[in-house]
Amino acid sequence: MIDSKQASEALAEIDDIVQRVRQSRIYDLASLMMILWGGLVFAANVATYLWPRQGYYIWFAVYVFGIAGSFAVSASNRARTGVRTFDIRAFIAFLLLVAFGYFCGLVLGHFTPRQQGAFWTIYFMLFYALAGLWFGNAFVAIGLGITALTLIGYFYIGEAFPLWMAFVNGGGLILGGLWMRRS
Amino acid sequence: MAELDEIIHQPLRLKIMAALNALPAATGLEFSRLKKLTGATDGNLGAHIETLAKAGYVSVEKAFVGKKPQTTVTATASGRGAFARHVATLQEIIAGKQG
Repeated sequence: MIDSKQASEALAEIDDIVQRVRQSRIYDLASLMMILWGGLVFAANVATYLWPRQGYYIWFAVYVFGIAGSFAVSASNRARTGVRTFDIRAFIAFLLLVAFGYFCGLVLGHFTPRQQGAFWTIYFMLFYALAGLWFGNAFVAIGLGITALTLIGYFYIGEAFPLWMAFVNGGGLILGGLWMRRS
Repeated sequence: MAELDEIIHQPLRLKIMAALNALPAATGLEFSRLKKLTGATDGNLGAHIETLAKAGYVSVEKAFVGKKPQTTVTATASGRGAFARHVATLQEIIAGKQG
């Protein structure tokens, strides 16, 4: 029989591994979503650079494909693990975030396309960084890293800013997702 | 008076059972993921999974994903029950009812 100190250590060991399993499952799903959105954002930024007048249609298409893809990833995850991850509440939360972003960028701010390119990225990365406070440091690192690179591009990169954002935001999300899968 | 489960009590097997028990029922973990979570070596992890499987606490499924072999380990209902009793016993020891 063991004493209470050893029993406490065993329970602490259990708590530690449970936390790691939870974080691993969150990273597993989040990484798939990040790779999906990273690919879309990369393509959309390149398309915006090539056809700047079609920007609104391009980004509307990104949202449609991104939401459909998120539901598909969630359905696949549910079939594999029994856990639904992107449900109607997540969808509504996403719509509210986008609506608030549009309100700030177009109604209150009248942002230029360049300002919008920086704003949307920083806005979403803020939520990554906040999520990291609960779900793991990888989210904080990705959120802050992409935000910093976005600001560098906004202030120092000229006409090629959408291309910079393709690699920083799109590529950053893809690399961040791959990094999370290895964590 | 409840006894500690000697099969689960071994440190690595405790980690394995804790990890599997943290998942929803009938959901397993791949061997590679379990290895990363527990920090064990291939051989050590394999040996302890075998001990747990022999006790009926975990089931082991081997399949091919593409051309790669993949081993998935899942806690059985009996394993989950044994783990819950083991944790309860640890809590009793801390509360001073045993030990």
